[in-house]
Amino acid sequence: MWMWFAKLGSPRWFYEISTKWLPWLASAMCILMIVGIVWALLFLPPDYQQSFTTRILVIHVAVAGTSLAFFPLMAVAGTITLVWKMKLADMVAKHAAPLGAWFSFVTLATGSLWGSVMWGTWWEWTDARLVSMLFQFFLLLSVVALRSAIEDPDKSAKACALLSIVGCINVVIIKYSVEWWNVLHQPSSPLSTSNGSANGPEFWMATGVMILAVYLFFIVSLTLATRNEILQRERRSQWVQEIVRTS
Amino acid sequence: MKIHRKKKLGVILFVAAGLSATVGLTLFALGQNMNMFYTPSQVAMGEVETGRRFRIGGMVKEGSFISESDSLKVRFETTDFVHAVPIEYEGILPDLFREGQGIVAEGSVDSRGVFSASKVLAKHDENYMSQEVKAALDAADALKSNNSLQSISER
Repeated sequence: MWMWFAKLGSPRWFYEISTKWLPWLASAMCILMIVGIVWALLFLPPDYQQSFTTRILVIHVAVAGTSLAFFPLMAVAGTITLVWKMKLADMVAKHAAPLGAWFSFVTLATGSLWGSVMWGTWWEWTDARLVSMLFQFFLLLSVVALRSAIEDPDKSAKACALLSIVGCINVVIIKYSVEWWNVLHQPSSPLSTSNGSANGPEFWMATGVMILAVYLFFIVSLTLATRNEILQRERRSQWVQEIVRTS
Repeated sequence: MKIHRKKKLGVILFVAAGLSATVGLTLFALGQNMNMFYTPSQVAMGEVETGRRFRIGGMVKEGSFISESDSLKVRFETTDFVHAVPIEYEGILPDLFREGQGIVAEGSVDSRGVFSASKVLAKHDENYMSQEVKAALDAADALKSNNSLQSISER
């Protein structure tokens, strides 16, 4: 098992395996993304009380759900960096932070649009769900800032790893804010496959496709960014120079 | 695992646990302050001092909505099905506003015990249903209640 773990940490191994997997992941992402967006924005039936604004829901839920994955991912990568000093973990963490900030921003933007129509307000400072999501956006920006603030790459990696572990607590708060406190934001919808109940298949299937598409988008973009980082950091090694020569 | 790695992992876990406990206790201590609104029952129990601005959240009571024909003034009651608080508001209501809908209103209670609101927001639940399904369900419900009425009259 430890052999496998050590192999996983090798940038070269990751580069080669991702070369094989990327085309498949990227094409699956494209298909799901097109199906999801067309379905959500053109074919989703109107909701009985919110009419066509539930079309925002499909995108908002998918992006918001994915944005919660960034801090746990960065915390795991950070722990590996701190304990095992694996180079690859830090490369992933470095590029996860700005991507996560974008995901949080899109969550806030789509949520605001939806809220302005349905709730009658763009933003409420007293809503724990909204504010904790904004906090995640700022935390991710601060991880990005911290990375560039410390010049020594080893030290900045360690500092970012610590901040990522701390940021995980906020993910729990975002997730449960709608259950612990009275807020304007609605709680998460229960999954239901029966046609008669609320959240029938017409809503959650479109949302499911979109969630898969957005998760794949997250994995593909992070992999692409990590591959660039590998080439840059390992530019003096022989295998990278060989790739550059042959391409 | 090597001993120095085990030690490091232990320190990280300890720091994470300590921080979680700190944040958890802080949120627990904040308690009511983390809530966006008070419920009508809390207001009726006198948990909010008079004159203070706060938010109240509940359902718009069925049959309580009155609007003036020559202005934007409206009056309705908000309820949590235990207590009801009358609300007065002048302005534009959100599209979702109707009787039976959840709302959050911001304002204060005056000496008459009426909540005069400066802002009314609509709160919706986490259930989404297409208009067709809703119509079919409503029709089935109507049929069921008709049948039960018939069976009562036949008896």
